[in-house]
Amino acid sequence: MNFITNTVEETIEIGRRIGKSLKPGDIVCIDGDLGSGKTHLTKGIALGLGIDEHITSPTFNIVNEYEGRLKFYHFDVYRVNDPDEIAAIGFDEYIFSDAVSVIEWSDYISELIPDEHIQIRITKESETRRSISIQWFGKRYDYMKEVLQ
Amino acid sequence: MRILGIDTATEAASCAVIDDGKVLGEIVFNYKKQHSVILMEMIDSILKNLKLDISDIDGFAVSEGPGSFTGLRIGAAAVKGLSQGTGKPLVGISTLDSLAFNMAFTSGIVCPIMDALRGNVYTALYEFEGESLVRKSDYLAISIDELIELLDEKSSPVCFIGDAVPLYRVKLTSSVRDARFAPLHLNVAKAASLAELGRIRMEDKGANDLHAFAPFYLRKPQAEREYEKKQKELPNERL
Repeated sequence: MNFITNTVEETIEIGRRIGKSLKPGDIVCIDGDLGSGKTHLTKGIALGLGIDEHITSPTFNIVNEYEGRLKFYHFDVYRVNDPDEIAAIGFDEYIFSDAVSVIEWSDYISELIPDEHIQIRITKESETRRSISIQWFGKRYDYMKEVLQ
Repeated sequence: MRILGIDTATEAASCAVIDDGKVLGEIVFNYKKQHSVILMEMIDSILKNLKLDISDIDGFAVSEGPGSFTGLRIGAAAVKGLSQGTGKPLVGISTLDSLAFNMAFTSGIVCPIMDALRGNVYTALYEFEGESLVRKSDYLAISIDELIELLDEKSSPVCFIGDAVPLYRVKLTSSVRDARFAPLHLNVAKAASLAELGRIRMEDKGANDLHAFAPFYLRKPQAEREYEKKQKELPNERL
């Protein structure tokens, strides 16, 4: 499914719609260039999960944990050189839990991403315009169809 | 010798105090991983109810792995702190050993299986020789299918125990010739079992070095993981 947004607020709104309906254990991968709005989308997801804390990208600490309607783990694996590094922080125990996990730059650790997940790709069309493609893999995410319509 | 045992390697959090002749007390919670929240309270409560002070403990036994990454770190950190603070020795024991020990005198193979996620288990094969528990394989991190293959070469009955039993019971029942399963009340990591093995180890081989002690995270060798990744990436064509 594809969306075009023209402002940061519209990007956050898409995130919020997704976040509102996410279920325990859901995994959302977000990829896109620097400055494309991955973290803004994540802010929206956090809002949808009922988290009003300020969301910042965990570029250096790799994962931030929040408590909302569900537990929420926000990963940024931009600085991970080797999937082994992130496996060594107990990655599996984070993502195979009852929490919602969002993983920015998931392409860097593709071998660790379970087959079933939501994949969001953001492309810069202009300074402010973004194309957001949302795909999901696995039956458990079929509900996304209704959420996004 | 009075030993305080702590096991946090699985979903269960458990602590126990044993002395030479008996288990003085044991607390087990097998509900959600909440070790960091309840572990110190559990230790405090068991000591209070036994009218003991932490200084009355002569040594500590802790689960050293394999097991839950976070759980192992919580257990190791707690026990290292207690050991350093009291100046009493610590010993690390594998939860696989202590699970197998729950099934004392079982004839045939005892096979503890702990959930290692992604269809994998932490496991090892054991047999009881007289009163002694003898490990007959390395500690392994393998897929459940690899374990089934490994057990296919064995002719004796296999008793499974551990937190991966509910996940794989049906599969193991149908693919292992003579599969048996630990009764519920034994199918949980027990700190008393760990403490007893810890006492034996401390008497036989001495304690671990406090500063060098670290959890033992068992993972598939990297070469194997890379091979699997390549297999996954192969074009899905029938030749």
